[in-house]
Amino acid sequence: MDALVLDDVTKRFGEKTVVDALSFAVRPGEIFGFLGGNGAGKTTSLRMVLDILRPTSGRIAVLGCSPGRENAGDLGFMPEERGLYRGMSAIDTVIYFGRLKGMTAMAARSKGQDLLERFGLARSAKMQIDKLSKGMAQKVQLAATLVNSPKLLLLDEPFSGLDPVNQGLLEDEVLHAARDGATVVFSTHVMQHAERLCDRLLLLSRGRKIFEGTQSEAGGLLPARLRIVARDTPMRCPGIDRADAGDADADGWRAYDVTLCEGIDPADVLQCMTEQGITLRRFDQQRVSLHEVFIHLVGNPSVAATGQPA
Amino acid sequence: MIRNILLVALREFRQITGMRSFWLTLLILPIVFAGGPIASKVLGSDDTQRVMLIDADGREATAIRNRLDGDRQRRILTALSRYAQRYALDRANPTAVWAQHDRLYGEADVAAFVKAGGLPAALAAMKRLATPETPAFDLPEADFTMVPTPPSIATADPVALDRLLKPLVQPGEFGDKKARPLDYAVYIPRGFGTRATVARLWSSEQPGADFVQPLQSVLTQRLRIAYLQSTGLAPEQAAAATTLVPSIAISTPAPGGGRERMLVRSIVPLLSAYILLMSLLLSGNWVLQGLVEERSNKLIETVLACISPDELLYGKLAGTVAVGLTMVAVWGLCATGAAFATQGAVGEFLRMALAPLASPWIILVMLYFFLAGYLMVSMILLAIGAMSDSMRDAQSYLTPVLMVIAMPFTIVAQGILSNTGATALKVLTWIPLYTPFTMLARLGSGVSIWEIFGSALTLAAFIAIEFVLLARVFRASLLNAGQKPNLAALARLMQRDSA
Repeated sequence: MDALVLDDVTKRFGEKTVVDALSFAVRPGEIFGFLGGNGAGKTTSLRMVLDILRPTSGRIAVLGCSPGRENAGDLGFMPEERGLYRGMSAIDTVIYFGRLKGMTAMAARSKGQDLLERFGLARSAKMQIDKLSKGMAQKVQLAATLVNSPKLLLLDEPFSGLDPVNQGLLEDEVLHAARDGATVVFSTHVMQHAERLCDRLLLLSRGRKIFEGTQSEAGGLLPARLRIVARDTPMRCPGIDRADAGDADADGWRAYDVTLCEGIDPADVLQCMTEQGITLRRFDQQRVSLHEVFIHLVGNPSVAATGQPA
Repeated sequence: MIRNILLVALREFRQITGMRSFWLTLLILPIVFAGGPIASKVLGSDDTQRVMLIDADGREATAIRNRLDGDRQRRILTALSRYAQRYALDRANPTAVWAQHDRLYGEADVAAFVKAGGLPAALAAMKRLATPETPAFDLPEADFTMVPTPPSIATADPVALDRLLKPLVQPGEFGDKKARPLDYAVYIPRGFGTRATVARLWSSEQPGADFVQPLQSVLTQRLRIAYLQSTGLAPEQAAAATTLVPSIAISTPAPGGGRERMLVRSIVPLLSAYILLMSLLLSGNWVLQGLVEERSNKLIETVLACISPDELLYGKLAGTVAVGLTMVAVWGLCATGAAFATQGAVGEFLRMALAPLASPWIILVMLYFFLAGYLMVSMILLAIGAMSDSMRDAQSYLTPVLMVIAMPFTIVAQGILSNTGATALKVLTWIPLYTPFTMLARLGSGVSIWEIFGSALTLAAFIAIEFVLLARVFRASLLNAGQKPNLAALARLMQRDSA
């Protein structure tokens, strides 16, 4: 059973379609990236999963059930815009949210203290939120999200507003939760986090899915790039779109940034060069970053409009 | 669902009661109530008015003095009579004038009272029957006191009196600014009543009827005697003719009865209406602040991931009611403490004031209107909170709403206390926004059963509609930020449920 399923889900606010026929499934134990620019429909989708909003059409299944507060005990959610009750202590805040998720006060206190200790806040547990630094308050928020050991962790732009130390802490906690068997879905527009964490990802643009798959599958959407050093131009081989040459050294070796045509395997190019007698001192395949894929897909008007990559 | 509602309510309650401002505000009311009478005693001025009589013949001054003294004795006698009747002390001397409650006291009664030893003798007689709980007799303050006439004024030329008296009557303008002014100065010219002469009155302000009437009465009597004598009547007959007064038998409710009883019985219901209003304004404001904080701190989405908007709404309502009832309980404890601390007259007063609460039915009705009032207004405040990004935003809605709710309260209180405006009170009873306040206030003065049931049902229907419409506003506004909805947008939000 998939941890989360969205099947042809559409959400409209008046005339405006914010999520358009979105379908995807997240497998149990997976870290799933939900990527997209501002206004792509990420937050609206997550709100529908949490039953804060109802879809205009389509079906959603959360841990095999319809969205609803009955699932609250199995979910952990951290919204993009975060805040806490300023007059409450750190531990009371964690206990309160634990209890709202169906925990007993004792269990919530015990787990809350463990989490605060893990986050280095054991000594500040009884301090009021407004007496804590912003970084410490962010850790309390994370503890409140994790207190119920959720089976499905939903994080909406979790890294925004975090300092580098807390970003690292959050990445560790995401991996920690996944190791413990939780499914993690997080939305972001910072691709580095997605690259480090995601097993699979989904790219969303203007409410439409434009990609779903693994990182390597995403990389395959863009033509491969090579960095080679040779005496002869590689343009003699077929399948090369362009080769930008650098300056030659005294021995005549020249560096080339090579862009392959779409669908061309770099191994075929290497074979061709060998057959053609092009002597190589270096042949590196450049990895396509998620950032580049994102820019390529989201910045491509035809893809963004149709939801279909070229 | 109930569990989540209680969790939200408990958090609201803890947050509000944990605020220092809550306890400060809570204690202000009892302090004001306790401090008011103390302050008025400490700061209270002597109301006895100072009178100077300048009588060229020396005859009328005595008559005026006797008349004023007689009036004072009459007031003491009347107060004594009510005191004796209220505490069943008239059995101490059933034949005494103060034990007769069937007539307006005339001059003969006053004379008999004075002759029998006046106040000291009456109190000595009553002391035999008084119990330790019987409060002491509250002697009415004297209305007037005579100021000796300085020889320089007594013998002055009438033409110079203006110049001599103005510094005394209006010291602020003509004399020693710190001196206490003389309230009245009366000049009776020589031969008053026998020839065309004019008596004069200097007053520090607009003369009051309580002084002018006895003065006029004494001088009129003098003129009438003179007139009757001029028609050939013997002086004794002329004097007797002017003292003729009718005997008026009176029938009044016993002390603590009639209008007085109704007024005292109205105090607790009226006070409960006032307390409802006060506690609503205070606790509603705190809960509103809490909701605005949740919105401005971006907490609401985290909360809504765990519980439904309805659970949040009902939890907040329950929290508001709990805070309000706590306030009422604390004020009730203060009042009980005050009742125990003040025995006698206050205790007696409280017994009468609490009499309406002797019936469980009335307590039930009061409780219903109190809680209904709380729910009705809190719901409005929560909808305002859900639409506001900051307290500044909230104030722009809150001020007109609170003005509309609170303003008619003065009409209600005045209507109850002065027994006027019955139609206005009845009309306000049927306007749901004012029903709780008006019904609570009217309970002491008698309300028909059908009015209680009818207005209770109307109010319940109004609250039900309010819950449907304002809950839609609440749900729709919770996650919205930015521009405040105008009236048209508000109406649209009420028309459909959006998620």
